[in-house]
Amino acid sequence: MLKSILLLIFLSFCIGTGVWLFFLYSVKRGEFDDIEGPKYRMLDDDEEMTDSSKSEKRDL
Amino acid sequence: MSNDDLCIHCSLPISPVDLVTDEIDGKQLRFCCHGCRSAYQIICGAGLNRFYQREDRQSDSLKETRSAQFDDEYLQRYVRKRDERSEIHLLVDGIRCASCIWLIEHILQQSRGIESARVNFATHRVLIFFDDEQISPAEICLQLINIGYLPRPFSLDELQRSAEKERTELLFRFGTAAFLSMQLMGFSLALYAGYFQGIDPTSRTLLQFFAAIVTTPVVFYSGYPFLRGAWFSLRNRTPNMDLLIALGSLSAYFFSIYALFTHGEVYFDTAAMIITLILAGRLFESGARRKASAGVDKLLQLTPARAIRLHDDGSMTTVDCSQLSPGDRIKVEAGERFPTDGRIVSGATEVDEAAVTGEPLPVLREAGCNITSGTLNLTGSLEVMVTAAAADSFVARVASLVEQAQARKAPIQGLADRIATLFIPFVILVALATFIIWYGHPEALMHAITVLVVACPCALGLATPTAVMVATGRAAETGILFRGGDILESCAGLSRIAFDKTGTLTGGKPQVVSMTPQTGTENQLLQLAATAESGSKHPLARGIIEEALKRNLHYPRTTGSKTVPGRGIELKTANGLLLAGSRRFLADHDIETPRTEVVGASAVHIALNGNYRGAINLKDQVRDEAAAVISKLNKEGFSTLLLTGDQPSTARQVADLLTIENWQAELTPADKAQVIEDELKKGKRIMMVGDGINDAPALTAATVGCALAGSTDIAVESADIILARPDLGKLYFALKLSRRSLRVIRQNLLWAFTYNLVAIPLAASGKLLPVYGAAAMAISSICVVANSLRLRNLEEESC
Repeated sequence: MLKSILLLIFLSFCIGTGVWLFFLYSVKRGEFDDIEGPKYRMLDDDEEMTDSSKSEKRDL
Repeated sequence: MSNDDLCIHCSLPISPVDLVTDEIDGKQLRFCCHGCRSAYQIICGAGLNRFYQREDRQSDSLKETRSAQFDDEYLQRYVRKRDERSEIHLLVDGIRCASCIWLIEHILQQSRGIESARVNFATHRVLIFFDDEQISPAEICLQLINIGYLPRPFSLDELQRSAEKERTELLFRFGTAAFLSMQLMGFSLALYAGYFQGIDPTSRTLLQFFAAIVTTPVVFYSGYPFLRGAWFSLRNRTPNMDLLIALGSLSAYFFSIYALFTHGEVYFDTAAMIITLILAGRLFESGARRKASAGVDKLLQLTPARAIRLHDDGSMTTVDCSQLSPGDRIKVEAGERFPTDGRIVSGATEVDEAAVTGEPLPVLREAGCNITSGTLNLTGSLEVMVTAAAADSFVARVASLVEQAQARKAPIQGLADRIATLFIPFVILVALATFIIWYGHPEALMHAITVLVVACPCALGLATPTAVMVATGRAAETGILFRGGDILESCAGLSRIAFDKTGTLTGGKPQVVSMTPQTGTENQLLQLAATAESGSKHPLARGIIEEALKRNLHYPRTTGSKTVPGRGIELKTANGLLLAGSRRFLADHDIETPRTEVVGASAVHIALNGNYRGAINLKDQVRDEAAAVISKLNKEGFSTLLLTGDQPSTARQVADLLTIENWQAELTPADKAQVIEDELKKGKRIMMVGDGINDAPALTAATVGCALAGSTDIAVESADIILARPDLGKLYFALKLSRRSLRVIRQNLLWAFTYNLVAIPLAASGKLLPVYGAAAMAISSICVVANSLRLRNLEEESC
C-alpha cells in the first residue's frame, strides 16, 4: 500500500517537474514574449521550408 | 533592370517561375504573384489607381537616399555574432496588420543568407538570423525598404533590459510557485482527509515531508521579492505589505517544520498559497502597465538615431542625432520620421502627426512651419532647421515622462500598507504577551507561535490584490485601462471632475449647422462647396461632404484642387476659380465677405469666379452620450467643471447644454494645470478628462487623469485611466467600478479583521485546536476571494 503511494507520488512529481522544466525552457526561449502572434500564425497554412526549397532562394 | 521585370504592384523583381500575367483595362500587366494581382485588382476596383502613380512609388532616388542611411559600418554595431550565424534586431515602422507581418517574414525568409526572420506582433521587432558571408545587414534593410517598410536597428537600453529581465523573472517565480502549489495541494488534501478519516502515522509523516519539500522553494525562491521587501521594511522601520506577507508565510512555514518533527499538524499550504496568489496579482498588474506604455515606447524607438546634416557648401554627412544642435540644417526624406524638433526651411509635405496630436489625417506642412520629433514625413523631401537638441526634443521629454511613470511604486496597495503598519506591531505584541503570560508552561512558545500563524495575514494580504485584480480585469474587458491598483482607490475618493471640451465632450467632427447663401439655394451652395472640398481631407471639408451626401446632392469628384494650409482650397472650374475657405482666404483674393458669424461655429466661405456665394457654418457637436453621463455624475454628487481653450461664448453654450456647473474658457495648457492645482490646494480630489497634448499637464496634475481613445500618445502617457473607446459612458462605469471595488476591499478587510479578532484571543488562550485554525484560515481566504469575484458581475449601463 505505502509502496504504491510512494511510487505514485514520485511519478506525479516527475511528470510535474517535466512540465515545469518545459515551462522554464519556453520562457527562456521567448515563447511568452509575443502572446499576440500565435492566433494569427495558426491561420497561415504554409508548407515548412524544406532544404530543397531553401536552395532555390532568390538572390537580391 | 527594365520596368518589365518588376511587379507592377510591389515593384519587386519577378522570377520567371512565379510570373502572373493578367489583362486589365486592355493592358497586359505582369505580377510577381497572385497576391499582388489580387491586391492590384482591389486597389483599382476601389478607384485608387492613383496609388501607382504616387511619387514615392516612382522614384528610385528616394529609395537610394533612404538606404544610404543604412551603411554596413553603422549597422555592424547592432549585429551580434553567435556561433556560425549573426543576429540583428530591427524595429519596423509601417506595420499595420497581420498581413504586413506575414509579408515581412516571408520576403526575408526567401532571401539567400537569411536563416530565419520572426516578427513580434506586439512590439513590431524583427529578429533576424543570417549568414554574414551571404548577406549584409544593409541588404536586409534594403529589402524591407523595397517592400515599403522602414527598418530601424534596435538595441535595448539599460533600463528596458532590466525591465524585461524583471518580467521574465516574475514569470519564472510565478510559474514555479504555481507548479509546486499544485503538487502541494495533492499532499494537503490527503492530509486533510487523513485528519478526519484517520491515517497511519508513517504515511502522514511521509506526506508532510513531501509537502515540506515542495513548499521550501515556493517560500524562499518565489517568495524572495517579499522576503527582501520585508527585510528592507524592517531596516527602515516602516512596516508594509511585504512584511505582512513574509511574516505570514514564514511563520506558517517554520511552525509547520517544527510540527513535522513533533508530529503535529502542518500548514505548508498556507505558506505557499499566499505567495502564489499574490504573485499572480503582480503578474497581471505588470501586464496592464506594460500595455499602457507600449505605444509611446514604440514611438521613442522609431525616432531615428541618425540624420543627414547639410553643410553650407552643399555637402551632406550622416551624423548621430545626439550631435545635432539648434541651428543645424538637416534633410528629411519622405517616409522618415523627424529626428528632432525643427522648422521647415524649404519644401512642403504632408505630415502624419497622429502620434503627437491624435489627428488621424495628415496635415500639410510647408516652409516656416514647425514640426515635432517623432511625427512622420509622408510625401516630400524637406530641408529642416533644427530648433531643439535631440535631448530636449518632444520625444525625449515624453521619454522622461514614461520613465517617471514606470518608476512609480508597484501600486498594489496604499490602504493595506497603512493597515499593515498597525496590524503587524499589534500581532507581534499579542504573540509576545501570550508568551509572557504562559511563561513557565511547557506549551508557552507553542501558543505564541499559534497566535502568529492564526493571525495569518492571508485574508488581509489577499483583500486588496484580489479585488484589484478582478476589478482591473473587468475594466479591461469593457475597454477601460487602469494604470494601477492605486488608481482604483484614488478614483473612489474623487469629488470633482474637470472636462476638456474639444475631442472629449465633443466628437471632434464638425457638422453643418446652418448656411447663409448669398445667391441661390442652400443646396446649390452646398454643391459648390462639396465640389471644391471633395479632394480635401480637412475635418471641415469632411463635414461639408457628409452633409452633401446626406442631402443626396450630386457633385463632381474633382482632383487638382490646391490647398492653402490654414486658409482654404481653390479649384479651377469651367465657370471660373472656385474658392472655399476662411474670411481671410477670400480677402486675399479681394473678395469681401459680410459679417455673419454664428456663435461657436466655424464658417467656410464660398466664392465662384470672384463673386461671393455664401457661407456654411459648421459646429463640433457634443457626443451623444455626454449629457446623460454628466447628469448622472451630477446626481452621484460629483461637481463638474469645463476647461477649454475656446471662446467663452462657446464654453458657456456647451456647459449650459450639458448642465456642467462651472466653466473656464480661453485657457492655455498651463492654465488648465493651474486650475487643477488650485482645486487640489483647496483639498478637493479632482479628475481631469482630456484627449489632447494641451491637456497633458492638467492630466498629470490631477488626482486622476483620464484619456480617451484616439488621444495623443502624450495624453495617454500622462493619464492614469485610458478609455479604449471614445465613449464617456465608460468613464461613468470606471467610476462606479472603482467605488464598488473600494467597497469590496473594505468588506474584505473587515472580514479579515473580524476573523483575527475572534481567532487571536482563542489562540492566545490556548483554546484553538490547530486544525480548526487551518480550516478557519482557508475559509477566510475563500470568503475574500469570492467576495472579490463579485466585481466581475458588475454590469455596464448604457448611457
